[in-house]
Amino acid sequence: MSLLELNNISKIYGDLKALDNVSLSVDTGEWVAIMGPSGSGKSTMMNIIGCMDKPTSGAVLLDGKDISKESAKSLTAIRRDKIGLIFQQFHLVNYLTAVENVMVAQYYHSMPDEKEALEALERVGLADRAKHLPSQLSGGEQQRVCIARALINYPEIVLADEPTGNLDEANENIVLDIFKQLHKDGTTLVVVTHDPEVGEVAQRTITLEHGRIVKDALNANFKEA
Amino acid sequence: MTKRKMFLRMITASLVRRRSRMLVALLAIAVGATILSGLVTIYYDVPRQMGAQFRNYGANMIFLAASNEARFDLDTVRRGVACIDAEELVGVAPYRYETVRIHEQPILAAGTDLDGAKATSPYWHIDGEWPSARYEVLVGQETAEFLGLKTGDVFNATWSSGEEEEDVLNLGVDMKVAGILETGGSEEEYLYMSLSDMEELAGETEKLDVVELSVSASADELKAYEQDIEANVPDIAPRLVKRVTESESTVLTKLQSLVFLVTAVVLVLTMICVATTMTAVVTERRKEIGLRKSLGASDGSIIWEFMGEGLLLGGVGGILGSILGFAFAQFVSVHVFSSSITYQPALLPVTILVSVLVTGLACLLPVRSATEVDPALVLKGE
Repeated sequence: MSLLELNNISKIYGDLKALDNVSLSVDTGEWVAIMGPSGSGKSTMMNIIGCMDKPTSGAVLLDGKDISKESAKSLTAIRRDKIGLIFQQFHLVNYLTAVENVMVAQYYHSMPDEKEALEALERVGLADRAKHLPSQLSGGEQQRVCIARALINYPEIVLADEPTGNLDEANENIVLDIFKQLHKDGTTLVVVTHDPEVGEVAQRTITLEHGRIVKDALNANFKEA
Repeated sequence: MTKRKMFLRMITASLVRRRSRMLVALLAIAVGATILSGLVTIYYDVPRQMGAQFRNYGANMIFLAASNEARFDLDTVRRGVACIDAEELVGVAPYRYETVRIHEQPILAAGTDLDGAKATSPYWHIDGEWPSARYEVLVGQETAEFLGLKTGDVFNATWSSGEEEEDVLNLGVDMKVAGILETGGSEEEYLYMSLSDMEELAGETEKLDVVELSVSASADELKAYEQDIEANVPDIAPRLVKRVTESESTVLTKLQSLVFLVTAVVLVLTMICVATTMTAVVTERRKEIGLRKSLGASDGSIIWEFMGEGLLLGGVGGILGSILGFAFAQFVSVHVFSSSITYQPALLPVTILVSVLVTGLACLLPVRSATEVDPALVLKGE
């Protein structure tokens, strides 16, 4: 069943077509990598799927509901309730500890629960770093806090924008292992990346060029965790 | 954990863990609150302080006999004085004037309560001592020069009730100059002695000529006392010494206006400083605002979080300002008025409230701009 559908969406900035009549669908539990060079429209697509931007034309259906015409306030609510975001630059609040950063997402979603936030950190292997500030964590650890934060409210879809872009190989593997586990647990994952290694481990790869999908294929080498 | 606890945890963490950033804002608020609290303390204490200062310039109220037939004696004066709040009464000096002959010269002598005169006329400068024994007198500088008297001299005085020889009451009484009185005014023409000595030498009489009073009260309060005495003690005609009361009132009004103006300017400057700091804080935290919005924070949440920080800063600054303000007012009072100031407990909540309000107002515009942050742009680093 399709969790996410993009139907003929375009995004135009002045004379520039960032996305040109793109259509795709993502099923529940699917792990999709969106790849492409810089300027191909990956980030625009990520922003539209993540409810941080609206298409100029076309429809975006999340869980069967067209969100392309929703108000900014409704999009905020959808982001809060249905989407988990993972960023390349982690974007942790620098004066809050790891566990407090996770609790911030709970705070906006429903009710902060420190025990649950600690369990989320434990799942990404950071139980012993819960009380540390972001400045006291390595890049890989910060990304894992970011992942714990994205997952804490059990989102319907997790969007990751270049999640390994700022990590060394060891930490990249840790993050990809977490993604594999998430996929195994049934989480829907959309990962935007230009790193072929990250794209290869996904179940399906969509390649964008000049705002259009030029390739949409299942990975033959994909292995379930 | 409740949402409120998490809210407090976030804003406290922001202030405590980013203290170096927030110190400027806190400093601005604390300085503003200190000056506000200090000046308001002075504003309310100035009438008392200035009143005390003005009491050095002599009596501000006098009692006269309401008419020639009026009974104007010490008992009547006591009834008039009873209309005045004892705590505000600095001194009462009843005067009886008689003529005495010294070295065959007629000299005006004033009999008074010397302690009362000391209290009502603190500006009198005595070269020597105040009279403390029987027949000791103060001689005005001018009279002393005229008669060739100096401190410690004994002179001969004749007291009579009229011009004729049979009018003489006490012939050739030896009196001692305890001190020479210097005021620069008409007092220097007189000879001052205790009322009891005068009654003994010039003859017992119940009648007084004038009573000088020094009352530590505002012009309005003095006016009320004047009316009260007129109504309750008809034998007394109370009069305000307008030269003193009006000067006091004018100086007080000007001083209070100045304090009010300075306070207003300080509040505006504080507001500008806090607004500037908060604008810098919002700009610096655009990414954090974008992140919070991407996590689903509504505009209202963002506003409350930043306002919460601002209001907490205002509260802390207000508490600091109240404490430092009292110290500031005390310093000013001791160095300007040479007396300590009275602490006004009501000023603590007022200072905190005003600090919070001023900070809140100063935060409004910067915080409003925080809601305009586009999460997609700032998270991409644009």
